[in-house]
Amino acid sequence: MHAKHGVEAVRAVAAAAQARRRPRAGVRSVLAAVPSASPIVRWTGIGFLVVAALFPLFGSGFYTRLAIEAMLFGSIALSVDILLGYAGMLSLGQAAYFGFAAYLTAVLYTHVTSSFWLVALIVAASVGLLAFLLGAVAIRASGVYFALITFGVAEILLKIAHNTRALGGSDGIIGIPVPSVGVFGLFSIPLKHNLVFYYFVLAGIVLVYLGVRRILNTPFGRVLHAVRDNADRVPYLGYNPFWYKVCAYVLAAEVAAFGGLIYPLLRGFVSPELFGFEVSTKAVVMSLVGGIGTLVGPLIGGVIITFLEIVLGGITEHHLIVLGVIFVVFVMFLPDGFMGLARRLVAQRRGERS
Amino acid sequence: MIRVTGLSKSFGALHAVRNLSFEAGAGRITSIIGPNGAGKSTAFNLIAGTLRPDGGRIEFEGEDITGLPPHVLARRGIARSFQITNLFFGLSVLENVRLACQALEPRRQFGRRLDRLAPPLERARRIVEEFGLAEAADETAGNLSHGDQRRLEIALCMALEPRVLLLDEPSQGMAAAETAQIDALIQSLAGRVTILLIEHDIDLVMNISDHVIVMHQGEKLFEGLPQEVRASALVREAYLGEEHATA
Repeated sequence: MHAKHGVEAVRAVAAAAQARRRPRAGVRSVLAAVPSASPIVRWTGIGFLVVAALFPLFGSGFYTRLAIEAMLFGSIALSVDILLGYAGMLSLGQAAYFGFAAYLTAVLYTHVTSSFWLVALIVAASVGLLAFLLGAVAIRASGVYFALITFGVAEILLKIAHNTRALGGSDGIIGIPVPSVGVFGLFSIPLKHNLVFYYFVLAGIVLVYLGVRRILNTPFGRVLHAVRDNADRVPYLGYNPFWYKVCAYVLAAEVAAFGGLIYPLLRGFVSPELFGFEVSTKAVVMSLVGGIGTLVGPLIGGVIITFLEIVLGGITEHHLIVLGVIFVVFVMFLPDGFMGLARRLVAQRRGERS
Repeated sequence: MIRVTGLSKSFGALHAVRNLSFEAGAGRITSIIGPNGAGKSTAFNLIAGTLRPDGGRIEFEGEDITGLPPHVLARRGIARSFQITNLFFGLSVLENVRLACQALEPRRQFGRRLDRLAPPLERARRIVEEFGLAEAADETAGNLSHGDQRRLEIALCMALEPRVLLLDEPSQGMAAAETAQIDALIQSLAGRVTILLIEHDIDLVMNISDHVIVMHQGEKLFEGLPQEVRASALVREAYLGEEHATA
């Protein structure tokens, strides 16, 4: 099941990337304008933010926690989008950084400190270093081989977590205390409360998104576009693609680590499955369903898939098959995902009006 | 400007380039011609940094540049075009050129917001205009006609403000009228930049070159002025073939 799922995913994603790269003649390319800066993206993003801000006021505690989970998995999807949507690199192992950050967070809270900011700092620094070292190796391969290396790295980390007794082996680490987050020593945010926790994570993910957008809305981000479009041509303009890819890879790892930094506080435990292939591929699916290259789309995709999973899980135990079908339908008919759909609907409306 | 000494490259048992030496003078158009398999493409790729030579030396303005990677050569002022059109096909024409212009900015500017870094965009607009692509500026490069793509290819190189322009069969796959346009374009660039080109189209080469190098089976067969090449029996025999020999 796993292996098959994986091969299909690689093929489907390759097909989708192909569809984006070779626009039909006459159609002005989706990529000609920077998609993450288009008004559709902005308004869809703002619309979703409003819904997200009001959501816990109406839903039950269960759905509030589910929404938090959606945002955390959404961060892995965003991380996939940085690589796939900007630099054209398909990673099947972004769970490596999610899991690594989650385990490190768990260990630090249980043994070292209860300061959220200190933990965040250590996690960010460690993930940055790990991603730099692994990235510098993985990036020397390209295409499918890059995907396979990232997959392999995540599997190795999973096995290490699984086989290390100090990390709880297959049980993982349980009983992680939920900290309060001090703000300049003035007051502290008690994450124990569901609503507080929710808005804290929402604010966090919005800041991460804005930060990523800012970093990519630069000459640096445009070079990544060039790498995605035609990596072989990039050196002849005087850019060394290697460093641009490494930077994108480290940035993506940090974004996935944001999810990993929060996840243990939501669940109170971590386990080896956090490194798993299912987490990595789900992030790719979220990214595609939301719309790659849009940054906001993958976050929306994260919400769609997480909630769909729960709804479908209540109806049938074969919900993964249904999700697979949805994925295939998106790749075949909506390769630019939810955001592409929104864009077309708006364009149609405008056409009717004029 | 560019001096090549004893350049060699083999692929297995095939000696693609053997002991090639020549010089491309500053501000002039130097052409390498030769029949298929003569090794001119390999020689070109060695100079452009696409391939690493097995032996020999390449000098640019007196400095050794042998075996340097393409992105270093580009920053030193050596730009190359491609025989098979090689652009950012999914990006707009303007963005293609802007990316090249942006490459000249210092890297510490690369974290600035795009709209706060205006010079590359302004320069790109001027270059797009200069190369007659203004009307297609917002068009996706992949949607351009072949002739326009060939021009964009050269525009991308010139946006790098190179001192040497390496052109790989610039008129490849073009109709006669378009070839004449490219011909004129290359000549108009001649004063601004040193040009080294390899070409299949002999007429183009003869019309615009200051200096011609003829390659045959990996080696330099002949070099001289276009009319000398035309007059050479040796060249005729090796390259121009029977029909020219009898004509």
